[in-house]
Amino acid sequence: MTAEQIADLTTASMNHPAPAGDPRPTTSYVLRVNGFERPVADAWIGESLLYVLRERLGLAGAKNGCEQGECGACSVQVDGQLVAGCLVPAALAADCEVSTVEGLSAAGAASDVQQALAESGAVQCGYCTPGMAMAVHDLLQRNHRPSEVEARQALCGNLCRCTGYRSALAAVQSVADQRAAALLAAEEAAQQAAAEAAGAEASPAAAAPEPEDTAAQEPPVYQDAWTQTATVGEVPLFDEGWISAEEHPGATAAGTGLGVIPAQGYDPTAYGYGPGTAYDGAGYEPTPAHATSAPYEGTPAQGTPYEPTPAHGTAHQGTPSHGTAYPAAPPYTAGPYAQAPYPGAPYDGIGYPGTPAHGVPAQPTPFDGTVYETTPSPAEDDHA
Amino acid sequence: MLPTSLDEAVEALGASPAAVPVAGGTDLMEAVNAGRLRPAALLGLGRITELRGWRYEDGGTAVLGAGLTLARMDRPDFAALIPALADAARTAGPPQTRNVGTLGGNIATNAATGDTLPVLAALEAVVTLARAGATREVPVSHLLTGHDPMRAGELLTWVRVPLLHAPQVFLKATGRSGPSRATASVALVLDPARRGVRCAVGAVAPVPLRPLEAEAWVAGCIDWSARGEEGARTIDPAAAAAFGEYVASACVPDGYGADPAAGTAGEGPTAAAVALRRTVAVLARRALGRALK
Repeated sequence: MTAEQIADLTTASMNHPAPAGDPRPTTSYVLRVNGFERPVADAWIGESLLYVLRERLGLAGAKNGCEQGECGACSVQVDGQLVAGCLVPAALAADCEVSTVEGLSAAGAASDVQQALAESGAVQCGYCTPGMAMAVHDLLQRNHRPSEVEARQALCGNLCRCTGYRSALAAVQSVADQRAAALLAAEEAAQQAAAEAAGAEASPAAAAPEPEDTAAQEPPVYQDAWTQTATVGEVPLFDEGWISAEEHPGATAAGTGLGVIPAQGYDPTAYGYGPGTAYDGAGYEPTPAHATSAPYEGTPAQGTPYEPTPAHGTAHQGTPSHGTAYPAAPPYTAGPYAQAPYPGAPYDGIGYPGTPAHGVPAQPTPFDGTVYETTPSPAEDDHA
Repeated sequence: MLPTSLDEAVEALGASPAAVPVAGGTDLMEAVNAGRLRPAALLGLGRITELRGWRYEDGGTAVLGAGLTLARMDRPDFAALIPALADAARTAGPPQTRNVGTLGGNIATNAATGDTLPVLAALEAVVTLARAGATREVPVSHLLTGHDPMRAGELLTWVRVPLLHAPQVFLKATGRSGPSRATASVALVLDPARRGVRCAVGAVAPVPLRPLEAEAWVAGCIDWSARGEEGARTIDPAAAAAFGEYVASACVPDGYGADPAAGTAGEGPTAAAVALRRTVAVLARRALGRALK
């Protein structure tokens, strides 16, 4: 019942042009976007959620790609389900919880998903990235430890013509690893706190149980987990397109799409801001573990201004004030060009002993250049 | 309009028959975005929870709600019931589409590439159409072919599908790896109780096609009583290959893809027909092989 006989209706509307009474029926409704109530007034009923988000509500994160649901650039979540925003009539999403890519980055900082996408090189032109971020976010909400096949199936609706998806898949794995590690650390901390609270009577050996290996502590796997089991009936004719579920040991040749691709992140220490001022990550609040309730303190009342975003122009805490000299910057005079023969030394041609003058045959060749002497010039040849 | 029960929806549709019922909206919005459709009013069906599940009837029939999403049909509990329908739902599109697209929408939209349609045709499903104060039942093939179309003010509510407890296969050929529209699809269902094979070919014609003669012929080739290793029914591989060719030539006409204005009658099958026949033949042969495996 998506549409009752679209074909018939289409032809009907072409044969009988729109009724004269109301050619452009409009409606007003309230969308709940990222926890805020956003009223929409007098909008045409045929407007897609994507259009309303971008043009009426100013949330331009979701991109308008194909308007056919093929590209995934407009992916948003409606009531927790990943959907193509361009294929949802906005009027029918009234009172649904809509979450967009703007909601991922709470307090202006990139979420762990967005950061992983950026670090693994999954962002080139960036057009598919908001949709990709929503798809990864949605996948990791439902499945905390996606296999490569599951990740590929989850991202199959997001077309990216720049990166070839491997970096996006690497980002999925790195976020999953980060979250698992953070969860493990949180559990350990909680256990230790409990053990300390239990007091002196508890024997120390029993108080701090060794954390088992990660596999045993894996968070539960939800809805999509079954796809890893040999499914009922093969995925017909396009299992050839998928990468097989077997683990491939190590990376393989480029372009095969096989193997475990390590995240292509650059080492941040390699890009430190000069000696002694290595970026220590202080500016980024580490993203809390998934399902940690700390940052989400309920929906603020409508009209509450955004508190956490620092005012424009607020100085970065970690950045030295303007004018502070680089403490350990080496003087330029000690550069590697100190011994260069440039200052005053005339060019003596020592560096090029072997190159003969133009037209002079090279000495070591056995042909003595006779071959070239008899070669007619192309112009003569053409007119001969 | 966002009715929350079936009765409300039927009433609302009766009051304003020009309203377009919308469940997932994936096909509708594509037409709206392209400017092909300007709905006078929308009737959202997403809140009718009673249509989003299924129930059993008479011990041998599943009654599927029209609001059952493709993502839901893809889950293992449903796949154990009607595996071919689950396979079709799984390959129908990307997650963004399957999360909202519904079974009823697939039928009502009646797109040539609707992936669940050949499965429903092979299963010989029956749909229930409701209007204010009355319902009627129509075989899905009659509905799809326009033999008995939906009337104004009618809402597709339930889809009755027999539970055959036998192998079912849905295979689909697409233009690219990953989910996309089918260039051809084949649904094949074994009905051991009636010693029948039912096959439907989708996407090669505006509606799914049933090669009835090929079905009857191949049913005679299958040794229904044979129980070899692991209880497999057996068929001669040559017969399976012949079945594929039979299905292909029955479903793809010689003039497939030909420009009708060019007037190339009597010169044998077109290149497009040959290529498509090859695809359909492979799909049908593999489907039969997997069903009998």
